[in-house]
Amino acid sequence: MKKLLSLLLSVMMLLSVASVAGAAEITDLNTYEISSAEVETWNVHYSQAARDLNVLCNLVDGLLTNDNKGALVPNAAKEYSSPDGGTTWVFTLNEGMKWVDYQGNEKADVVAEDWLWGLEWVLNFAKNDSYNVSMPAEMIVGAQEYYDYTKALAYGIEPGTELPEGAALSEEGVAAAKALGLEKFLEMVEIKVEGNQIIYTCLAPLPYFPSVATYNCLYPVSGKFLEEVGVDGYRAVTWDTLWYSGPYVISQYVHQNEKVFSPTPNYWNADGVKRFNSVTVKMVEDANKAFSLFETGELDHVTLAQSQLDTIYKNPSDPWHEYLSESRPTKYSYQFHWVYDVKNEDGSPDDNWNKAIANLAFRQSILYGLDLTTYLARTNAINPYSCLNYAYTGNGVSVNSQGVDYTQLVRNELGYDYDGFESYNRRNPEKAAELKKQAMEELTALGVTFPVELKYYIKGDNQVAKDTADVLTQMFADYMGEDYIKFTTKTYVSNLTTEVRKPQLACLLISGWGADFADPINFLGQETYGDPQAYYANHHSMINKATDEKLIADYKEFTRLVEEAKVIYDDIDARYAAFAKAEAFMIEHALVMPVFYNIVWQLTSINPYSQVYSSYGMQGYRYVNWETNSDVYKTVEVEAFANEYNK
Amino acid sequence: MLRYILKRLIQSMITIFLVVTLVFLLLRLMPTDYFFTEDELMKLTDAQMEDRLRAAGLLDPVHVQLGRFYKKLFTEFDLGTSRRLQVNQPVSKVIGSKFGISMRLGLISLGISLLVGVPIGILQARYKGGVFDNIGIAYTVFVNAVPHLVFYSLVLTLGARWLGLPSLYTMRNPGPSSILPITCLSLVSISSYMLWMRRYMVDELNKDYIRLAKLKGLSTTKVMFRHVMRNAFLPLAQYLPYNILLTVGGSLLVERFFSVPGLGPLLTDAISRYDTNVVQAIVMLYASLGIAGLFLGDLLITVIDPRIRLTGKEGVR
Repeated sequence: MKKLLSLLLSVMMLLSVASVAGAAEITDLNTYEISSAEVETWNVHYSQAARDLNVLCNLVDGLLTNDNKGALVPNAAKEYSSPDGGTTWVFTLNEGMKWVDYQGNEKADVVAEDWLWGLEWVLNFAKNDSYNVSMPAEMIVGAQEYYDYTKALAYGIEPGTELPEGAALSEEGVAAAKALGLEKFLEMVEIKVEGNQIIYTCLAPLPYFPSVATYNCLYPVSGKFLEEVGVDGYRAVTWDTLWYSGPYVISQYVHQNEKVFSPTPNYWNADGVKRFNSVTVKMVEDANKAFSLFETGELDHVTLAQSQLDTIYKNPSDPWHEYLSESRPTKYSYQFHWVYDVKNEDGSPDDNWNKAIANLAFRQSILYGLDLTTYLARTNAINPYSCLNYAYTGNGVSVNSQGVDYTQLVRNELGYDYDGFESYNRRNPEKAAELKKQAMEELTALGVTFPVELKYYIKGDNQVAKDTADVLTQMFADYMGEDYIKFTTKTYVSNLTTEVRKPQLACLLISGWGADFADPINFLGQETYGDPQAYYANHHSMINKATDEKLIADYKEFTRLVEEAKVIYDDIDARYAAFAKAEAFMIEHALVMPVFYNIVWQLTSINPYSQVYSSYGMQGYRYVNWETNSDVYKTVEVEAFANEYNK
Repeated sequence: MLRYILKRLIQSMITIFLVVTLVFLLLRLMPTDYFFTEDELMKLTDAQMEDRLRAAGLLDPVHVQLGRFYKKLFTEFDLGTSRRLQVNQPVSKVIGSKFGISMRLGLISLGISLLVGVPIGILQARYKGGVFDNIGIAYTVFVNAVPHLVFYSLVLTLGARWLGLPSLYTMRNPGPSSILPITCLSLVSISSYMLWMRRYMVDELNKDYIRLAKLKGLSTTKVMFRHVMRNAFLPLAQYLPYNILLTVGGSLLVERFFSVPGLGPLLTDAISRYDTNVVQAIVMLYASLGIAGLFLGDLLITVIDPRIRLTGKEGVR
């Protein structure tokens, strides 16, 4: 009977998919952004924000891009290779690529030198104000030195000397740095052009370097364009002065209103990619407004806010009830970051918390004691477990030679052999109770009083954050016990960093990290002990200020494991296995607690599994090869797409 | 009169200078962390952040920054460039591109409001206590009591779903897509003109000179148009130039709601993104327009009512 039912269901799904296949595709896509996500700069090298890069990835072609499975695929470069196992990378460009203006008029050929101009721009202190420097500076031979050289020039000091306290920029120095061409750059930086090939030399073998070639720090800019508009012209470039080389040009743009993408005329890869006749991105005030536009047919998809989802989901007669579908996860992996050096509001140390969180049993009791279901439901009310995140590194960032996702390697190391994601499996009440008892004994001996207050901060006027904090409060009360941890919600006025993080007031910070390139080091490198570049270690956990010896020893061990993995260049599987070991150590010791992925619900006429998917970098918003339908997809149809995709 | 104008002009300049200086200093009191987005705070090293602050001149002493600002303003008429909203674009361009749209919608709405609101207010006063007056009062109460966003949503639903009008303003179809934002702008200001016109009219109707005119046998129409309306319109007329000039400022709520690319939401956006040059320029613009509007209002009433003089010892305002 079950087989018959499943057969019938499959036939129905196939029929529905077949009926969709017969429906018309959308030729003129209407989509939206919330007004706070308006483009700030049209200079692809200057931007570090998704709001800009989501647009710019359609306008200029990088060397490589991603397909809908997240795999690296050729773009401006038709092929790439490393003749020496990862230190030197050679990218061979396609022929016939052109720079055009916003009206499609041809301006120049795209040539390999344009990538030299692009990198020179990024590394030149006076031209790009230090934006996007860190990745090339850490990877390419001579890049850091060239940046330092231009900075010294701009300050009018001798290259190689320390910048004096309170130093001021020199007007002549800035002008001299801005006037730099390629000569000094090529002299200092190990990058060269041979015909239609660009050759980068890395500081060490970097197996993930091709993924960096999808990112804006390695994007091109036409040398002829720079010659025409000058440095200040490119710094202040706008949609109607930009030269385009990507699949679309912006044919109309009104700030905080709408932008219209039109297919680039004579695009070199016109036959290789499917494009829309136009893509109109409307700026809307909020999710409610987007939904009302979707209902009047003025948008082709909408992401649903919690209240809208509730209304539709709980009412089977709602006209959209059968059309709800899940989005694919964004590239961000969210974690609970414990703060190990918390202060009271008067600046004195919060000894009670600091001692408690430094205790391994205390941290592990939370890791194994909490059932995060209600918290996950704040992100995804219908299917909270689809948001489950058991690893720190994002899903899909790296895949080993057998096609196994890196996060699966971490789960294997942790012994999380859960069968699917249908319940909150990490909770182990017996183990958590034992750990709680052990922690209370150990900490009482150290003078810690219970319940330990856990201070959590939200923005005072954010009702959504307030509702989430209420859920967290209840969750901690239910699973940890009010005798053990007292979850206290406090508020800040406008800026988390200034008001909370810098004064070190919060015990818990929840944050998501998205990778810039395809290697676990991009995640794990943020947590290592004693590293000034490790963002979370220095700005969230404050581990470098912690004093508990056992805690520091655990962090040092984790850091040692990361360092060991980092230098494995010749065997990608061994590299990922070593990183997985380090990450498992970090999670098992509950130094950080992975929590969720952002998977929301939507109504859409776009097959989400046909869209470019990228777990890192900036390629995820390219409007190419999308499958669409003039009617909104039903739930079963999107499920069928997912099943097909995951086969 | 010329002396009065010169005096007011100097007072206005000083006021604008004080307002802009105060805003400039207040912005500099904010921690420099506001200069960076959360994302930048995540990715930049302390040294890189310092480099950027130094390059933007924000690490210089405040008086040096203020001096630089005024020097550029007075010698080059340069308000600086936007640091956030439209990176490296001249502030004049950022504001200029939005100026016209807000003004166009605002002036149309103001015209509609005057043409509709003032006559209705007159009729309400004329038939005070009657059905028409009560309907007018109910409308005024409704518009002012219900949160604006609620009836904007109502207008949107009726307009977009029933009449098929565009829900958002678009430059590609500015006529039809302006109807809903103008409707929302007008609904509020119509009620305002109705309310004030009725109130001033009723005030005048209760004055002794009107009773005398009626006793002398003047017809109601003559009393209403020759005496009551003329005097009742004076307080409204005084603020008319101010209202016209401030249409440039747009409406934060309506422009946000209908994605009108006007000046309305720009100030809050600029403050929230710490785009100091844009904030300073908008404050300067609003202060100038406000002061100019009040000044022109004073001049206008001397034209409408010759009894009022701006100089001299008697009847001076």
